[in-house]
Amino acid sequence: MSNGDDNDLTVPETGDDALAAEYVLGVLPFAERAAAAARVEVDPAFARRVAGWERRLSPFDDETAPVAPPPALKSALDRRLFGEAQKPAGWWRSLALWRPLAIASLAACALLAGMLANEIATRPPESVARLVVQLEAPDSPVKMLALFEPGSSAVRLSAVSGTPDSGRDFELWLIEGDNPPASLGVLPPSGAATLDIPESLQASFAAGATLAISVEPAGGSPTGQPTGPVVAAGQLRAI
Amino acid sequence: MSTPEEIARLLSRVALRDRAAFDVLYGHVSAKLFGVCLRLLRDRQESEDALQEVFVKVWHKADRYAASGASPMPWLIAIARNHAIDRLRARRPAGSEIGEAEWVVDDAPTPESSAVQRSERRRIDDCLDRLQDERAAAVRGAYLDGDSYEILAERFAVPLNTMRTWLRRSLIKLRECLEE
Repeated sequence: MSNGDDNDLTVPETGDDALAAEYVLGVLPFAERAAAAARVEVDPAFARRVAGWERRLSPFDDETAPVAPPPALKSALDRRLFGEAQKPAGWWRSLALWRPLAIASLAACALLAGMLANEIATRPPESVARLVVQLEAPDSPVKMLALFEPGSSAVRLSAVSGTPDSGRDFELWLIEGDNPPASLGVLPPSGAATLDIPESLQASFAAGATLAISVEPAGGSPTGQPTGPVVAAGQLRAI
Repeated sequence: MSTPEEIARLLSRVALRDRAAFDVLYGHVSAKLFGVCLRLLRDRQESEDALQEVFVKVWHKADRYAASGASPMPWLIAIARNHAIDRLRARRPAGSEIGEAEWVVDDAPTPESSAVQRSERRRIDDCLDRLQDERAAAVRGAYLDGDSYEILAERFAVPLNTMRTWLRRSLIKLRECLEE
């Protein structure tokens, strides 16, 4: 590129990249900025260019001094997001991702719970406490029961209701303490499943750990972490 | 200051609608994001409104973080910058808004900068040094202070199109230098 030619702006390769850089810098006028923002949503190649510039320019961020926001701001934010400022008893209770649907599945749920309880009751008495969890979320059509026996290497699931949309899969996650969610695998489309648990995760199955189901692209999360909405979750408890 | 790994972990839990993780994340990053809003908007009340919007976006977009492959703080700061700059550009054009606000106190790198961040910063500064002084100042001013093309053209007393040509070429040179 010659240094003197200030009209040389339309090299195809640099045109999009320069636009992405202008968008990230923030210099574009309102209408052009809005058009670029819309393009980020629909054009993955352009979105990657934007992400590249966000990364490239991020070293400037250390020049911006942190300033503590007023405490009332968090309460207002909580009211806005959750309708109230106080914390719920458990985070799975705050899941509100689906429009209200009929809760006809409750009877089926009770039936399955009874079956599980019956099965558990007929086990040899020397077994240590088993772990069960009912996975659900308010207003979500997805309900499942999961059973784990300490010493075993599999978790058994019974779907009570809910199936993924076409082209999507449900994926099961174990969340223990502050650890990132660990995938336990994609659920088969049928109503019951037995998922083998990697040995490294078996010790993490304990009362208080959380199982959650997220909606993922077919075949499961491409990233190893949940990428879609969580449609059901619950905490393991010993019985 | 929390590590990028901690922030990434919190974001993946926020993606699972974990409110406790959201609270912890807010505690770790709200001051930085508020600083970004204040520096760009130079208006305390508007910055408070903006910060609330930013965290609403974080709550709803956290599930996109994992797929983005981005580092967590740049990802969060991009949400804050984009929202604040949207507000700036929606304002009527007004060059008179330029001026240092009293709470924007610190132009020096903040103490939490990690060694990696400091070395990345040195690198971008070295690359900016290869540009003409005023072009480097334009890039930096646009990123940090939200200067528009109109404001930059006025400051450097050049036509708008010339300003745009300058800046675009400077950015491409900057990219080439950073990728050397």
